[in-house]
Amino acid sequence: MISLIGFIGLILSFVCNVIVIGSYYFKINQRFNQTFYLALYCSLFFICLSFFALMFAYISSDFSNFNVFQNSHSSKPLLYKITGTWGNHEGSMLLWLLIMSLYNVFFSFNITLEDHVRKLTIVFQSFLYLCFSLFVILTSNPFLVNSIDINEGLGLNPILQDPALAIHPPILYIGYVGFSLILSLALAGLILNQLDNLWIQVIKRWAMFCWLMLTGGIALGSYWAYYELGWGGWWFWDPVENISLMPWITGLALVHSLMITQQEQLLKRWIIFLSILCFSLSILGTFLVRSGILTSVHSFAADASRGIFILILFLTITGFSFIIFILKSPHSNKQINLLFINKTSALIINNVVMLIACITILLGTIYPIIIEVLTNKRMSVGAPYYNSTVLPILLPGFLIMSIAPMLSWQSNKLDKIKNYIYILIVTSILTLLITYLTKFNIWGFTGTILGLWIIAASLLSILHNCLKYKFKKFFIYNNALIAHIGVGIMIMGITFSSISQTKNNFTIQTGEIVNSGQYSLQLKNLKIEEKNNFQELLGIFLLHKKNEFLTTIKSSKRYYYVSKVITTEAGIYHDWFQDFYLVLGNEKNNKWSITIYHNPLVSFIWIGVMIMIFSGMVGILKK
Amino acid sequence: MDWGYDNDLFGNGWNIEKMKKLFLFIPLIIVIMITIFCLVFLLQGKDPSKPPSALLYKNLPELNMISLFDASDVISNKDLNGNIMLINFFASWCAPCKVEHPLFFEIKKNYPNILLVGINYKDKQEEAINYLNTMGNPYDYVGVDNKGLIGLELGVFGLPETFIVNSKGIITYKHLGPLTKKIITNEVTPFIQ
Amino acid sequence: MKLHLSSNKLVLIILYILIFLFSTVALGDAVIDDKVKKITSNLRCMTCQNQTIYDSDADFSKNIKQIVRQKIIDNQSEKEIINFLVTRYGEYIVFKPQFNRRNIFLWTFPFLIFALSFVFFIFRLKKNTT
Repeated sequence: MISLIGFIGLILSFVCNVIVIGSYYFKINQRFNQTFYLALYCSLFFICLSFFALMFAYISSDFSNFNVFQNSHSSKPLLYKITGTWGNHEGSMLLWLLIMSLYNVFFSFNITLEDHVRKLTIVFQSFLYLCFSLFVILTSNPFLVNSIDINEGLGLNPILQDPALAIHPPILYIGYVGFSLILSLALAGLILNQLDNLWIQVIKRWAMFCWLMLTGGIALGSYWAYYELGWGGWWFWDPVENISLMPWITGLALVHSLMITQQEQLLKRWIIFLSILCFSLSILGTFLVRSGILTSVHSFAADASRGIFILILFLTITGFSFIIFILKSPHSNKQINLLFINKTSALIINNVVMLIACITILLGTIYPIIIEVLTNKRMSVGAPYYNSTVLPILLPGFLIMSIAPMLSWQSNKLDKIKNYIYILIVTSILTLLITYLTKFNIWGFTGTILGLWIIAASLLSILHNCLKYKFKKFFIYNNALIAHIGVGIMIMGITFSSISQTKNNFTIQTGEIVNSGQYSLQLKNLKIEEKNNFQELLGIFLLHKKNEFLTTIKSSKRYYYVSKVITTEAGIYHDWFQDFYLVLGNEKNNKWSITIYHNPLVSFIWIGVMIMIFSGMVGILKK
Repeated sequence: MDWGYDNDLFGNGWNIEKMKKLFLFIPLIIVIMITIFCLVFLLQGKDPSKPPSALLYKNLPELNMISLFDASDVISNKDLNGNIMLINFFASWCAPCKVEHPLFFEIKKNYPNILLVGINYKDKQEEAINYLNTMGNPYDYVGVDNKGLIGLELGVFGLPETFIVNSKGIITYKHLGPLTKKIITNEVTPFIQ
Repeated sequence: MKLHLSSNKLVLIILYILIFLFSTVALGDAVIDDKVKKITSNLRCMTCQNQTIYDSDADFSKNIKQIVRQKIIDNQSEKEIINFLVTRYGEYIVFKPQFNRRNIFLWTFPFLIFALSFVFFIFRLKKNTT
């Protein structure tokens, strides 16, 4: 019954979107306006109905629904029943549709744009909705009836029963799918030739919002990988990670380019290109993940027919958009004022560097497919490739980032240059010291000097601003600098955690103490706990640093009853400057093998990202 | 990017407007190319979890293994050359192997000229012999690969794996995972005729 | 001179990088464990989803780790060990794409467009200032 309601909701939302588009083109009656918006709101209502119907089916463990049967189990905790709604291919596509519709409706409340631009944007967004809902209805229907009469499900992968991973898809999708609105705005503005300041104002905020959510989603995914995957890594250049990173990079370029608003120069063509590119990468990414064409730690259940459908969608939507781009490409009559180095050139360097990085990641991700089609041999493109190519390419971008917010649009003078040079010298010396004292490495040196330099230069700039403007409009002048400080901190974190991670193996028995670095760890006891859907063997350890007691740290092994899978949960102690990361191994002769990782400056990564997100939110809210 | 009113960038008459127009086509071309490659990949039905063998069209490496039943009997390539061979890696602990096992009798019946070679991979002699006694032994030869060294030479990483070697000693086909009737009809038979 | 500031910065950084690049080369011999780590971090666990042999606990990975270790003790070079495995498992087992004719495009394309953009940018700058 509930599945029927869900399915009807899905179909009706499709119909409503047809009405939206239809009423735009056949403005037959006076009440076209009413029909248009009414259909739009009804469409949201119906997809909500559909989505929550599926969620209800999960919560009530309605195994007559095939999707619930495949992915859920009555013993799952309530939270994971709810989040299991989107923890599978069909459900996550329903979430995709819901988010698309939400964007459409929230956008319709916009009052800045002129009416015809707003309407055409809504029409394009509805059209995109039609494409994806067709995909769901025809190939990924979450409301199929289970032909087996059964009152238990097949359970869910225990790895997915995790708080961070549960919330990661919605947040990620709000960003990833949100780029659809950016595309719609771009197409509408392009076709109506209305790429004016109003349009820039509107797309600026939406782009920043999408990009922020995407940042949060990716960070959550990384953080999850860090504590769950048991070896302290948080970025593996796994195909699915790359796929979320590419729109993030182009989104970043877009957000930066949109900052050239009321200034003299307007890179209209470039902004449109990026706007189309972001969602194109989202669609391509969805294709690569759901078609089963790439192996990854994160693949959904793959299906070639679904793959072909999304591929056709990719070709149609992206092809259409780029054709419109070619035909109606805006001409900018103004000349760009390029000096070395003024703000415009800094922005261009940022854009070029980001785009090349994105192209490289795309090339690396797709290359194995190309080679296998051409030569029938399979090859891998993994972390070593991306580290050797993307990181060096990003270097100029990081260098420029340190002073970019302080540059002027018109001239290439930088206020109080001497101070910056002094700061550069001081940070260079500091970096030399640090790299001599710790494990030396060319990447260590580069990362540290970049990170320190960005932080130092930005702090200096903030100081200059405060001296000049006192604390008036603090966030208006310093927001970009704060964001860049976040990036600098993140770079420090990435550098140290990658290069200076140490790993030690030990065997330990109850009561015994092992020493690792400045820490000593004592196994207090082991106990077995029975939870709802798993049995946990918990190792309880006492952590001391320099003979001072810090905390109790636990690492465990979990045996999930239904899926019969054993997972290991790491115990992590977060310190500002180091993470103590403990993994329980196997037992032999009453001794337990454990692995201790020291991950320096990992917290800096998350702190840096949070600062970036904070700064972005300020960017949206400030007038 | 808009370079403004100065169109003659290289000073030799190359119109910047034309160049810009050309650049505009690049994204579209890339989209089409990506679509074509991915479409071909999907239509070829390639399985991302099963990489093609690195040893295709190469000579069969030297297999020097003792027979499962008689430790003094050494099987080497000399004994095997000249016939089309089907080499199957199996073990008593491998569940999917049990599923595909009966199909070998059929192959033996339909294609009596093929040499069926079983290689017992990382197993215990007793358990392997029991396994063959219970399930029957379709193989002409059964070799032992306790430590997986022979498997290493052939790029084996998960059981069961099946290779076909032609009469000249060249590996012509590899299959990962258990065989099924369908796979035998569609993929294997062309190589054993 | 207008380009003064950035030249200083660039020169300093390039200088540092050059000096320490030379020092890196002279880093000397690493312990066997480090060598195993280095090589196995570049190898794919064939029975896992996108994990390195170093990170994985699968049987296959343990096996390969042993083989790599033995070969290092036997004084084989990294290149020889990688070739050994690639002959048997294909290029798929190595995460770093090898430098052969097939992969030339992969390795050179990013740097090529980078260089081209750089040149283009300098060109445009010069145009602007004249």
